[in-house]
Amino acid sequence: MLTTNQIIFSVMLSLYTLSALCALVFYRKQRLANIVPNILSGTGALCGIWLSLTQLIGLQPEQVALIRWISSIPNVTVNLSLDKLSAFFLFILSVVNVGAALYSIGYLTHYYNRRNIGLFNFCFNIFNITMIGVITASHMIFFFIAWELMSLFSYFLVVFEADSSENQRAGTIYLIMTHLAAAFLMIAFILIHQFTNSWQIGGSLQDLPPLIKNLLFACFLIGFGTKAGIIPLHIWLPYAHPAAPSNVSALMSGVMIKIAIYGMIRFIMEALGSGFQWWGMVILIIGIITTVLGAAYSFMENNIKRLLAYCSIENIGIILTGFGAACWSYAANYPVLGALALLACLIHIFNHAIIKGILFFGAGAIYNATHTKDMESLGGLVKSMPFLGVFMLVASLAIAAIPPLNGFVGEWLIYQSLFASLEVAPLGLKVVIMLAVAGLAIGSALAAASFIKMFGISFLGLPRSTRAKEAKDPSFTIILSMGLFALLSLGVGIFPGVLVRLLDGVVYNLSGITISGELQGDSFLLYYPLTIGKNSLAPLAVLIGGCFITGMVFLAVKLLGGSTRQRKYITWDCGFTGLTSRMQYTATGFSKPLRIIFRIIYRPSRELKVEEGVSPYFHKAMKYVVTTQPVFEQFLYRPLVKGLVDFAKVVKMKVQTGSVHTYLVYIFVTILILFVYFAAS
Amino acid sequence: MIENYLHLLSITILITAFMLVANKRVNEYIKTFQLQSLLLAIIAGILGVHHVSQTGDWEILLVAVITVAVKVVYIPYLLRTTVRKVEYKVEKDFFWNIPISILICCGLVLLSYFTITNIEDISDRFVKIFLINSTAVVLIGLFFMISRKKAIGQIIGFLVIENGLFTAAILSTNGMPMIVELGIFFDLLTAVLIMGILVFRINESFESIDIDKLKNLRG
Repeated sequence: MLTTNQIIFSVMLSLYTLSALCALVFYRKQRLANIVPNILSGTGALCGIWLSLTQLIGLQPEQVALIRWISSIPNVTVNLSLDKLSAFFLFILSVVNVGAALYSIGYLTHYYNRRNIGLFNFCFNIFNITMIGVITASHMIFFFIAWELMSLFSYFLVVFEADSSENQRAGTIYLIMTHLAAAFLMIAFILIHQFTNSWQIGGSLQDLPPLIKNLLFACFLIGFGTKAGIIPLHIWLPYAHPAAPSNVSALMSGVMIKIAIYGMIRFIMEALGSGFQWWGMVILIIGIITTVLGAAYSFMENNIKRLLAYCSIENIGIILTGFGAACWSYAANYPVLGALALLACLIHIFNHAIIKGILFFGAGAIYNATHTKDMESLGGLVKSMPFLGVFMLVASLAIAAIPPLNGFVGEWLIYQSLFASLEVAPLGLKVVIMLAVAGLAIGSALAAASFIKMFGISFLGLPRSTRAKEAKDPSFTIILSMGLFALLSLGVGIFPGVLVRLLDGVVYNLSGITISGELQGDSFLLYYPLTIGKNSLAPLAVLIGGCFITGMVFLAVKLLGGSTRQRKYITWDCGFTGLTSRMQYTATGFSKPLRIIFRIIYRPSRELKVEEGVSPYFHKAMKYVVTTQPVFEQFLYRPLVKGLVDFAKVVKMKVQTGSVHTYLVYIFVTILILFVYFAAS
Repeated sequence: MIENYLHLLSITILITAFMLVANKRVNEYIKTFQLQSLLLAIIAGILGVHHVSQTGDWEILLVAVITVAVKVVYIPYLLRTTVRKVEYKVEKDFFWNIPISILICCGLVLLSYFTITNIEDISDRFVKIFLINSTAVVLIGLFFMISRKKAIGQIIGFLVIENGLFTAAILSTNGMPMIVELGIFFDLLTAVLIMGILVFRINESFESIDIDKLKNLRG
């Protein structure tokens, strides 16, 4: 007998599958191959929202089995189930997918007559299905297979525009890094199986010997961390995102890297029970480094999508800071603190998925309209693309954590949990937490700066190229998808209580602590303070207060200032009358001060080429190139790769000599050693 | 009673292995291998007759006949034709000189002795000795493959290893199931055929059958 959940889940899966099949069936008719699969997968995503909401609101028992199919081959089983944590991630996936489906209808039109849309939609939907598989898997082997398929299909999507060698390189780096991650996960799963004799996900691993627990922690941290993009394992992100189509970037950045966080919560927190206090500290420190460096690198980028990729790294850092604090608190036996930090971490995961959706959608739309991702040839887009401009502004404010938008809520809660743990932490950790607070602040400031740069340079001022000048607002579905997300962002920002209450169940399931008790007021009342300790958050009140004050000031100026006359005129240029777009602040110039201050991180080098004209005061042409060194690639990955290649060469020359006799000697010596070993034992 | 003869024969097989290591010419390798196979066939024959007289089981006798047909007649014939067809050059075929090789082989026999006596589960004194001898033959075969340069040496070494295994099997278990024996014979035949063709190819490509020249194939 099927339960409602199982029916909805099956409907959702079959819609995605049908969508993938339709994409293949209609691959010759590109309009059909674009519209039909996207409508189907959008409907599937709506089913996903329905399913996950019923689970999150708590009308269902704690864990519901969805699909259970056991084959006669050992360990080949499909065993899917949904608990609140899975439901939350399914919720994120589905919300982002509703937007992505709408967006794709408009966005994919620019691939018409160039690329196989059917193939794209097929990969896209299979990618979604595999992500659902990872989230709902309750069997480690199935989890691993789904995880690998997820990596593989996202690789296909990253290299979808495979004719540029840059994209191929990006794909290769992604593939290598993702397999590194998979290797560590495999080690971890096999270790777990060795010690518990079970492939079930969700069993407690707290009785394992400490050494094994530590080993498992390290494997999970590296394995999931690579996928999440923690520094220094982040190098694939800034390559993969610019290469991938924008809807894929939105899904990868919004959902896929969060699935790595899901894995961490599932295995490090739930299964290993947060283990020892140093685990939390390590995660916290990694989180801080990732936040600060991610934001710092994002500020230097002039390519919009690379900037967004580094911004994703920064946000993963923020999420991990919350997660680290939660782990430490649980391990140090402060469950309330842990619940608070975990809640903050989950809220930020949701918020980042929404905001990154808008930003990547916007970046894709800009690229479609102007055929460039370089900010230095954009500018003035807010006049030619007003809707896009407004939504990008909302998203930029949200990701810079400006109230009353949603980005603020998560970061505020993370600050609160850090301050709260400051009171109980031992001295050594106090220093770390203080540094963490400072790091978060620096990270937020840098993020704000990079989005001022992104918005200011590409949307304000004069257009720097004719394409930017002639750009038009994108098609309706693109605007609609971004608008929906912007509304959602504003809604969550104003009524954070709704999300907090929704996620409280997830945290309760994991820790047995409910945070809602600490909340006062009601989510739909005008004044809604979210009180934790002595501090409270009332975004709606702030919004209304702000509007009120602005209105009063405006009225006062109107009333007191008397009558004025408006005149629209060009910018005052001291009588020069020849202002061109080349006289504007550039993206490179905007980031100069920080390049000087953080010289030690960026290691910038610059080059000025001058072509002399008739007099030294009138140059024919000047070329100014600034480059920042990718420190991790330079000092970590290059030597590593070089070492590997050298080692392979030595092996080829010395060990695999090509001489049959040498190979025979290897066999002979092995047999002799075995004989001696046997004789000696 | 019968064990004494078998003991004697298994030692003769070991001695033929030593003879092989002491051989210098390719044609002599083939002759020695033929001799060794003949001794093997005699062992199988004795065991076969013994079995027929005791239980009426004629399978091992059949094995003896096939051994004569395949290992004493057909494979040496194949090898001789191969040798005749490739360019004949008289050159030193071994890496180490004969006395050193013989000494190393003595070491191998000792190693085999110490290892096999370590196995506590073998209670039968004769089976232990058979195993020691045949394991030593296997090791010497492998050593022979390493010590010879020409491709024929590798083929013979391979066949000697197989002979060693066969001796061990037939002496310690009173014969494997018929189907296994037949499988092994077919395996061996195909292997020798393929290796013979390979020798031609090597000879064609490098104008020599010194397999050290295969190094040039490395990418």
